[in-house]
Amino acid sequence: MRRTLTTLMVVTGLALMAISYFGLAAPWGASSVDNADPRMDFAGLVFIVGVVLTFSAALVYELLPDRPDDVPHRVD
Amino acid sequence: MATKTLTERPVPRGEPSLPQGIGRFNSGWKVFFAVGILIAGFGGYAYFREYTEGMGATGMRDVGTMGGATWGLYITMVVYLIGVSFAGITLAALIRLFRLEKLAPVARMAEVLTVVSLILGGLAIIVDLGQPIRGIINLFRYARPQSPFFGTFTLVIAGYLFASLVYTYLGGRRDAAVLSKVPSRLQGFHRRWAAGYQDTERERRRHWTASFWLALAIIPLLIIAHSTLGFVFGLQVGRPGWYGTLQAPAFVALAGVSGIGHLLILAAIARRTLGVRDRLRIEIFAWLGRFLLVTLLVYLYFMMVELLTLLYNTPEAEKALSDALLTGEYAWIYWGSVAALVMPVAILAYQALNSRWNIGWLVASGVLVNLAAVGKRYLIVVPSQTHGTLLPYDVGSYTPSWIEWAVVAGILALGALLIGLFMKSFPLLPLDESEREVMADA
Amino acid sequence: MTKYAMVVDLDRCQGCRACMEACKIENNTVESVFWMYVFRFEQGEFPDTEISFLPRPCQHCDNAPCVKVCPVGARFKRDDGLVLTDFDRCIGCRYCELACPYGVNYFNWSKPAKSYYSDAIDWKDPVLTGVTGGAVPAYKNPDLEGKYGEEQRHTAGGGHAKGVMEKCTFCVHRVEKGLLPACVETCPVQALRFGDVEDPESPISAFIREKSPWRLLEEAGTEPSVMYVGGKPPSSEVREIERPKARV
Repeated sequence: MRRTLTTLMVVTGLALMAISYFGLAAPWGASSVDNADPRMDFAGLVFIVGVVLTFSAALVYELLPDRPDDVPHRVD
Repeated sequence: MATKTLTERPVPRGEPSLPQGIGRFNSGWKVFFAVGILIAGFGGYAYFREYTEGMGATGMRDVGTMGGATWGLYITMVVYLIGVSFAGITLAALIRLFRLEKLAPVARMAEVLTVVSLILGGLAIIVDLGQPIRGIINLFRYARPQSPFFGTFTLVIAGYLFASLVYTYLGGRRDAAVLSKVPSRLQGFHRRWAAGYQDTERERRRHWTASFWLALAIIPLLIIAHSTLGFVFGLQVGRPGWYGTLQAPAFVALAGVSGIGHLLILAAIARRTLGVRDRLRIEIFAWLGRFLLVTLLVYLYFMMVELLTLLYNTPEAEKALSDALLTGEYAWIYWGSVAALVMPVAILAYQALNSRWNIGWLVASGVLVNLAAVGKRYLIVVPSQTHGTLLPYDVGSYTPSWIEWAVVAGILALGALLIGLFMKSFPLLPLDESEREVMADA
Repeated sequence: MTKYAMVVDLDRCQGCRACMEACKIENNTVESVFWMYVFRFEQGEFPDTEISFLPRPCQHCDNAPCVKVCPVGARFKRDDGLVLTDFDRCIGCRYCELACPYGVNYFNWSKPAKSYYSDAIDWKDPVLTGVTGGAVPAYKNPDLEGKYGEEQRHTAGGGHAKGVMEKCTFCVHRVEKGLLPACVETCPVQALRFGDVEDPESPISAFIREKSPWRLLEEAGTEPSVMYVGGKPPSSEVREIERPKARV
């Protein structure tokens, strides 16, 4: 569960970055002078969300327990 | 079992105490805080004047017919601060990736340096905008990757800052867990940071893996981020002195220099005020000194290449600019910065070759290279505007107004306050065995 | 498809700067802002000096560096060739000003109402307000408040708000009505020509065919829409004389 969620977050984050960058904000192959507007408003925010999601995967990886009843026992 | 530092009163026996001066504010610290608040407050007032009167309150003016510079001290500080942020997290990541255990005591202060300097860099951008509130909203809404600014805004400020915060947070959980066992005013904060960390074998392994991948991901992120900062300048055909392929790599090199310089200063301050001479040993300073020497030599190489290229064949458009830099009105900053880079090379090389390191000289080197870094950033930003017009406008001039100096001082004071506050709420050096034992017994 | 361009005849330009005045009045630009600017150059040493003049509006480049660098797309290029600034969206970062090789951009450094020669003119003087009705500047062009083009954005005129960029718009508010830009209309010797270069029958196209104009800073790769005939590109030996009081 934890591993799946982490991988999912990384992949989704990278996908969001790629899509928002190449698809929405800076359309591939289009001249930069003709395109003064991103295709979708807040495309830049989507890009940042992608970056944040990718790095948040590390938080999930460390903080989420493997199973709901999984309580780590102290090792002394 | 009271911990005592050189400058603090001892805590009465029987009361649990937090290590490294956390939660204890001596008179020296209070003076530091008061002065910091005063300067930051004055900076805030100066910015209020700028916000209400318009940016004409600064010394900046339009390029061309107005004979001014439209980017000045603020953008100089933006580039400088983002540069400082580079070395911090890079060092922390390298310590993790190459398991440089000897340098582990400075890993956290390096991370803190990065986070604080990025926050300051973001503030410095905002004070430079003519419409700051609109700027924040419109950047999120309309940000265009075709503009080099996009990388600065998204990757540097948002992405890199967030990644560094995550890295620092995860790396601090173990110490937070130890501290959260001690009743104090900060216990709630420590508990929340620890988020249930129990220091089990499994958790340690997880952190080991997570920090590895984070460190691995952060390094390309920040190389891209710093290169886009270089591109902000290097891609402008219309500005002699800016357009060039060396801008991006030179930015990264000088960033490393100023960051390690700052780290040396911070480590020396920590060593003195926290009384941790046995942990922040001279070997650590020696390593930082060697890193600084190498990055300095790399940057000086870039500078030499740039200078020789310019002297050998100055394109028509750059004649006025190169004259102003080398012999004209900017010469004192140019040669002053060169001196402030070359002297540390001599100081560091002498120490490295004799294997005799002195913290005082290292701090002096750190200060010098940072003065040089500010000077060099200024020389990148301003002369290409006053002496770099392609059409034959008269040469311009730029002098920062008191408002710009006050705002910059306020921003830097804020940074010092943030670091000072951090040091009073969380251990700057990762806790070692003896400190953890003291906590466990308390 | 329309594409607007301007041709400047340097053999006719006499440096009178009437175009600068007309531009200022038409566009309500503030003190020391010269969307249209005319260089007065001198070359050589007295008595062997040579005087020349060079009008410099915004070049409305086809490969505009200012459009490329705007982080929020406030500076944009229309299909009809005009490069305009949306003063609602501009965040005042001034990057376009730095990217432009021609130096045509101006920033609103102060509140515009305070920047119309207030140290020389007392706008509240009752004698003055009797005539102006309190308007600052005396003639406020009502066309400048409108939205223009298919894109319907606020792009005309200057001095709207502090903290935003502005520059020559080829008088978009006039061009959309079928009129010529103010500078072109005003020039007493018709040194400025303006029209649609995609129309082979237009007078400007015929003029271009006849004269083979050159362009400023061709080597920068900006592909400007403003062309020059007669005269030559400014060399490194020219120096500016008779500069206006240009610093606020």
